[in-house]
Amino acid sequence: MTGRSFDLGRGLFLALVTLVYAFLLTPLVIVVIASFNSGEYLTFPPEGFSLRWYEKFFNSQSFMNSLWFSLKLALICTVVSCLLGTMVALYTVRFATRWREQLRLFVLMPLLLPEILTAIALLFFYYNAEDVMAAVGFEGFRGLFRNSFIGLLIGHVLVTLPFVFLSISASLYNFDRSLEEAARSLGADRYTTFRRITLPIIKPGIISGALFCFIISFDLFNISLLLKGIGIATLPIQLFDYVRWDFDPTAAAVSTISIIVTVIALVVAQRLVGLRSLRF
Amino acid sequence: MTRLAIEGLTKKFGDVVAVQTLDLAIDDHEFISLLGPSGCGKTTTLRCIAGFEQPSAGRITFDGTDIVDRLPEDRNIGMVFQNYALFPHMTVRENLGFGLEMRKTPAAERRSRIDRVLATVQLGGLGDRYPRQLSGGQQQRVALARAIVIEPAILLLDEPLANLDAKLREEMRFFIRTLQQEVGITTVYVTHDQGEAMVMSDRIVVMFDGAVHQIGAPTDIYDRPATRAVASFIGQSNFIAAEVRGRDGDGLYRLESGLGALTSRFSGSLEAGQKVELLLRPEAIELTGDGAGGNVNLVTAELRERYFLGNTLACRLKVADGSMLAAQAPPWLDLDVGQSIGCRFAPERTWLIPR
Amino acid sequence: MADPAVSETVNRPLADPRKPHATFLLILPTLGILIAFLLFPYLNMIVMSFRTPSTSDVFAPGYTIGNYLEILFDEDFYYLEILLNTLLLGAMTTAICLLLGFPVAYHLARSRSRVTTLLYAFVLSPLLVGVVVRCYGWIIILANNEGLINATLRDLGLVETFLPLMYNMTGVTIGLVHIFLPFMILPLTGAIQSIDPALEEAARSLGASRLTSILRVVLPLSLPGIQAGTILVFVLTISSYVIPVLLGGFNVVIMPTLVVQQLLDAMLWPFGAALAFVLALAGTIVVWIYLLLTNRLMRGVAR
Repeated sequence: MTGRSFDLGRGLFLALVTLVYAFLLTPLVIVVIASFNSGEYLTFPPEGFSLRWYEKFFNSQSFMNSLWFSLKLALICTVVSCLLGTMVALYTVRFATRWREQLRLFVLMPLLLPEILTAIALLFFYYNAEDVMAAVGFEGFRGLFRNSFIGLLIGHVLVTLPFVFLSISASLYNFDRSLEEAARSLGADRYTTFRRITLPIIKPGIISGALFCFIISFDLFNISLLLKGIGIATLPIQLFDYVRWDFDPTAAAVSTISIIVTVIALVVAQRLVGLRSLRF
Repeated sequence: MTRLAIEGLTKKFGDVVAVQTLDLAIDDHEFISLLGPSGCGKTTTLRCIAGFEQPSAGRITFDGTDIVDRLPEDRNIGMVFQNYALFPHMTVRENLGFGLEMRKTPAAERRSRIDRVLATVQLGGLGDRYPRQLSGGQQQRVALARAIVIEPAILLLDEPLANLDAKLREEMRFFIRTLQQEVGITTVYVTHDQGEAMVMSDRIVVMFDGAVHQIGAPTDIYDRPATRAVASFIGQSNFIAAEVRGRDGDGLYRLESGLGALTSRFSGSLEAGQKVELLLRPEAIELTGDGAGGNVNLVTAELRERYFLGNTLACRLKVADGSMLAAQAPPWLDLDVGQSIGCRFAPERTWLIPR
Repeated sequence: MADPAVSETVNRPLADPRKPHATFLLILPTLGILIAFLLFPYLNMIVMSFRTPSTSDVFAPGYTIGNYLEILFDEDFYYLEILLNTLLLGAMTTAICLLLGFPVAYHLARSRSRVTTLLYAFVLSPLLVGVVVRCYGWIIILANNEGLINATLRDLGLVETFLPLMYNMTGVTIGLVHIFLPFMILPLTGAIQSIDPALEEAARSLGASRLTSILRVVLPLSLPGIQAGTILVFVLTISSYVIPVLLGGFNVVIMPTLVVQQLLDAMLWPFGAALAFVLALAGTIVVWIYLLLTNRLMRGVAR
C-alpha cells in the first residue's frame, strides 16, 4: 500500500461523511438564520438582522396559545409516562417471569406500529366508544375523549411510553443487584433500599427518559393532527397549518422557538444528570 | 460474639441441587473458609446465611436462634461482595454511615465509629472521596470497613480479593486475617483460591458439587485429605494406586503397588486387600543421586523434564510402571534430563485415600 | 443477640420478591391503558374497515367487504398504483439512507476523538427537532420561486426560471432521507461498534486494503444493524404524512396522505380504514420477504 493512495481514500471518505453531517444540520441552521433575517425571503447573503418575525410571533394570539398548550401537554404527558414507565420497567426487569418478553413487546407496541395508524385507530375508537357507552346509558362519557385534552393526552402517553420504558429498563438492566443486597445486609428494608439506593442510581435513566418524552410529545404531529379538538392546536399543528399556505418567516421564528425549547430541555437534563449519561 | 450453626442446609434451584444437606458449626471468633471450584455451592451457602437465598431445607442459627425466616436486613450481618457493591452515589463516609443510619446510631457516635474504622483500614484521609475515585485495593478496604463498622454478628466475605491484582491480593490476605483477629468477629469467607483459604482460615470447608468433602484445619486439609478431589484441588499431588497388605502399628500400612512395596501412614483403619491411593506431594519426594539412606519407599526413576522456578526445581519423573511423578528438588541440585535417579519419600509424609 | 432491631422482627417471613400479588400492581395501570387505548382501537379499526360507507355520516349501519374490493379492483388500478408508488418511495429512501448512513455510522463507531459526542449530537439533532420544523427548513431552501437555492441561482444568472426542487418526488425524497437518516445511522453505529476492530486489523495484516477490509469484514458483520436500520426507515417512510404533504404539495399522492384525506376531508372512515390496512398489510409483506432474503445472508453472523 502506498501512502498517497491511502490518504486519498481516507480524504474522500471524510469528505463524504462531512457532507452528510452538513446535510443533517443545514435545514436547522437555515431556519434559525431565516428567523433573524429582515427580508421576507432568505437570500444569500442574508439581508440584515431583525427581530420583527419574533415580534409577530409573540403578538400572534393563536401561536402563543398553541405554544402554551404544547408545553402544558408535553409536561403532563412526561409526568404520566415517567410514572407509568418506571413502574412497568421495574416490573418487567425485576419481577416478571413467564410473560416478560410478551410484556416488553406489548409496551413497545406503540413504537412498532406506525404513529399515523395509532392516531386513526384512536380517532375511530373515541367516536365509537362514546356512542357505545351512551347506548348503554353512560351519557357522561360523551365528550370525554373525542376532541378533548384527555383524549389527546392518552395518545401522547401511548407514543412516548415506549421511550421512557426503554430508557429506564436499560438503567435497571445495568443496575448491579449486589448494591441492593449490600444495603439489605446493612439493615435497610426493601422500601428504604429502593428510595436510598435504587432510585438515585437509576435517576439518570429516568431523567433521560423524561427528556425524550418531553421532546417527542412537544413535537408529536400525527396523533395531534387527528385527535386535536376544535380551537385547541399544538404548536406543530399550528405551524403546519401556517407553512402550508404562507412562507412568511414568522414560521422560522416559531421553529427557532421550538428548537430553543428542545435545547433548554437538553440543558436542564445536562445540569441534572450530565449529558454523557443520556441514553439515546 | 456469635456462634453460627448450619444444620441440614439444602438449596435447590428447580431440579438443580446447589447445596446438599450441609452441616457446619462455626465457633465464636472463628474464621471459616468455604473453598471449592466455581459452582460448588459455596456462594449459595453464604447467600443462605445472609438471607438472599431461602434454603429449601435446613436450619441456620445464630447463637441458637433460627434466623431462616428473617429478612436479610434483620440478621445483623456484615457482608463484603465480590465487586464490593459500594454505593456509587455516596462518598466513603456516607457508604460507611449507611448501616449505622439504618440502626439509628446517633450522629456523634456514627462519626467517631466511622473515623475509628477508617483508621483501622488505613483510609483516614479518603472519607470524602467517591468510590470511583479510589483504587481497587482502596475500594476493597472501604467495602470491608462498611461491613465491620456496624459491628455485625457475623462477617461474610464473598471472594473479596478476586478482582485485585496478584501482589495486592497477597497483602490483603494478611490484612483481613489480622483485622479479623483484632475485631474478633465470626467470619465466613468464600473463595476458590486455596492459598487464601490456607493463610487466613482457622478451618476450611472444602466443597464439590454442593457436597462437603472435608472440614478441617489447613494442615488437615493439606496433609490428610479425605478424598482424592480434596487432595488434587489443594496443592500438587501424585497418586499411586496400591493395595493394602497389612498394618505395621503406629498407623503405618504396608502396601503393594506398581512401584513395588511401599509404606504409608494413615489414621483410619483399613483391611488387608483394600484398594487405596497413596497421596504423594511433590515436595515430599527426596531425590537422591546415589540411593543412600535406607530403602523404605525408595524407587528408581528416570528424569524426563526439569524446570527452574527460582526457589525450586520442578521435575517430572518416569517410574517403573510407566507413570509420571511430579517432584521438587533444591535448585542447586545438578540434574541431567535422562539420568536415572533414586526417589525416596518418608512414610510420615504420605497419606492414603481409600478407593 | 445484642442488636435490638433483630429481636423485634424475629419470625417475620422473608417476603418472596417474585410473589406476584403486590408487584403486579406496578403494571396494572399501563396494561389497562394499553388494552383500552391500543388493543381495542386497533380491533375497532378492523371492524371499521368493513363498515358500509355513508354520505351523511362517517359510516352507515351494516357490514361489507366493498371497501377492500374497491381498492383492489378499481378500474384504473388507481389505489394499487399509489400503493406501488408508496412502496417504491420507501425502497428508494431506504437505499439512499443506507448509502449515506453507512460511512457516517462507520466513522462514528470508530472515532475516538473528543468531538465524537458532538458528532453524535449532529446525528441526533434532527431527531430532537419536530418534523414540521425540519420540513420548513427544506421549504426555505428548496422553494420553487423564492427558495434559497433557486433565488441564488437566479441572482447569479445561472437559471432562467427555476429548478423544480419542491412539490415533486425530489423534494419529498430529500425530506424523507433527511428526517429518517438518523434511524439508519444509530442501529448501524451500534452494530459496527460491536465488531472487534482487531478483525479489520487481521484482514489488513492478510493483505486486504482498507476498503476491502470494510467491504469484506465490517459490512457482512454489520448485517444485523443494516437489517434493523433498513426496516425501520422503510416502515417510517411508507407511513409518513407530514413530509409528503409539505414538500410534495398536491402533486405527490402516497398512501398516508390519501388515507388522511379520506378521513378528514372526505369523511369516508370505512374506506380510509381499509386503505390504511391495505398499506399496513403490503408493508408487512414487503418486510417479511425482505427478512426472509436477508436472513439467508446473515447465517454466519447470527448471534
